Amino acid sequence: MFNYSVRRLLTAVPTILILIVFAFYLMRLAPGGPFTSEKPLPPAVMENVLKRYGMDEPLHMQLFTYIKNIVCCFDFGPSFSQKDRSVNDIIAQGFPVTLTYGFWSAVFVLVLGIPLGIIAALRHNSFWDYLMTGLAIFSQIFPNFVLAPLMVLLFTLSWGLLPGGGWNGGQWQYIVMPAIALGTSYMAGVARLTRGSLLEVLNSPFIRTARAKGLPERTILIRHALKPALLPTLTYMGPVFVYMITGSVFIDVFFSTGGIGQDFIDGAYSRDYSVLLGLAIIYCVLTFSINLVLDLLYAWIDPKVRDSL
Amino acid sequence: MSLLSVQDLAIRFSTGDGTVHAVNNVSFDIAPGEKVALVGESGSGKSQIALSIMGLLAKNAQVSGRILHEGRDLLTLSQDALNKVRAKKIAMIFQDPMSALNPYMRVGRQLTEIVELHEGLGRADARKRAIEAMEAVQIPDAKNRIDAYPHEFSGGMRQRIVIAMALICKPGLILADEPTTALDVTVQAQIMRLLDEIQSELNTAVLLITHDLGVVAGFCDRSMVLYGGRMMETAPTKDLFAAPSHPYTRGLLRAVPNINDAAGELRAIPGSPPNQLRPLTHCPFAARCVDAVEQCRSTLPELTGEATKRACLRPVEALS
Repeated sequence: MFNYSVRRLLTAVPTILILIVFAFYLMRLAPGGPFTSEKPLPPAVMENVLKRYGMDEPLHMQLFTYIKNIVCCFDFGPSFSQKDRSVNDIIAQGFPVTLTYGFWSAVFVLVLGIPLGIIAALRHNSFWDYLMTGLAIFSQIFPNFVLAPLMVLLFTLSWGLLPGGGWNGGQWQYIVMPAIALGTSYMAGVARLTRGSLLEVLNSPFIRTARAKGLPERTILIRHALKPALLPTLTYMGPVFVYMITGSVFIDVFFSTGGIGQDFIDGAYSRDYSVLLGLAIIYCVLTFSINLVLDLLYAWIDPKVRDSL
Repeated sequence: MSLLSVQDLAIRFSTGDGTVHAVNNVSFDIAPGEKVALVGESGSGKSQIALSIMGLLAKNAQVSGRILHEGRDLLTLSQDALNKVRAKKIAMIFQDPMSALNPYMRVGRQLTEIVELHEGLGRADARKRAIEAMEAVQIPDAKNRIDAYPHEFSGGMRQRIVIAMALICKPGLILADEPTTALDVTVQAQIMRLLDEIQSELNTAVLLITHDLGVVAGFCDRSMVLYGGRMMETAPTKDLFAAPSHPYTRGLLRAVPNINDAAGELRAIPGSPPNQLRPLTHCPFAARCVDAVEQCRSTLPELTGEATKRACLRPVEALS
């Protein structure tokens, strides 16, 4: 398993390189640039600015310098649009924010979604099952840009319980609404997925064997059924978790949390090449690591997978 | 004194198409240590009878009748009381060893949890018992194999583990539901020999459910033939094979391919199994029976007789 992890990490390096090259050229293909404005800069000024950011060199040299700086000094370059701030600064400021509310959002998804799914499956075709399934479908189709304003309307404007935005160093009152708004539809997805797969597992022959042993239902659920029933949920949660901890543009804009989702949107508008590239690399690395963790979790659950590692 | 007494057992399933009458007023007894075969084609209800004894029928099943075991009706027991019977007093061997074992759990754990539950053994004692059980079913190197997962065993070895699970508490009755159907012919013979050895060693009663008459011939004292959820004939196995007294049993035995048969054709019973969506009002085999007379299509024959019991309106002498 250790060898497998090392192998996977090694294959990550060329993948990230390819991603950098692609993203780099793709961005340059987009019309405009970081210093394009309505009133064009005088040519002499423009020349100076370009020189200051190393953009007077040929493209492949810029790319080479960029990669070299990352590899040798972990330096993702200066921001093109925000004066005197480096990409490292921007990420160091924004990423902890998205990581925090993203993490709590994922906790909310799992802690609520899995038990709801289990209850619905155990009470199959009962009132609680229909209620849960109905609620889940409802919240799954309920977009966060409707849910977030609704929550602000209720919890902030009507009842004054929670602040309607901001971050304030990550106090819990500021995390609750972004985390719930971000997670609700995924929570519903997890609940439905858990319900479906647990129902399937509970109907499988090896559960019948367990019943034939005289085991009480609770033991059967915990010891025999839960692990296999959570496999699809695990698959589902992988990409969702990456999406959550890298932040949502909508959440950052609506709640003014100041996460990297906001930086991504700003970077795209102002053609801030280095910020966009830096964020793309973060997404890539996170996707890689989470997938690795997921695969190891699979192996932990399923002995057949373990043998094939 | 019988160990298990099934009386007037009827099993119906409510489905989208209507009510399926899977088992229709079946009665039989099993004596301690007796080896009984329950023979029938697929859909005859034989597996459902075993599942009803274990209380493992699907949720849409309705059961009536009585299943008496040690003076108690298993059909009326509470879940907790039934759990104390399962595996401890009556154990079941399932048909497909590929799916009957939990693929996510070491086989040792799947064995130890039974004795931990029913005999209150600690981890170490339970493990010792599990190894003994695996050795009893002749799994080589049981000491090390106990920590393997099901997928690391062959089909035959997995079925041995399923058998080990059934016998680990030394139950008085084992229900073996097609224990060899999913296995190679050579492995089938090994498994049946193993069952036979274990049976005589523990003097456990066995209800062998099968469609394979060859398996029955070598193993069971007594055979019961089921058709359309109705008992057609029960007789000592020797008599049943030597002189089948029911037209359906005769058709079944004639359908077993014989290598000395010059023509080399397969002699199937013409027609198809009965529509079980209608309640039984007459002999379910009448439509396919070569000896059927008008009365067979209007009257439901009762199972009568001494050593050999048959449910047929026509006297044995009149059969073709």
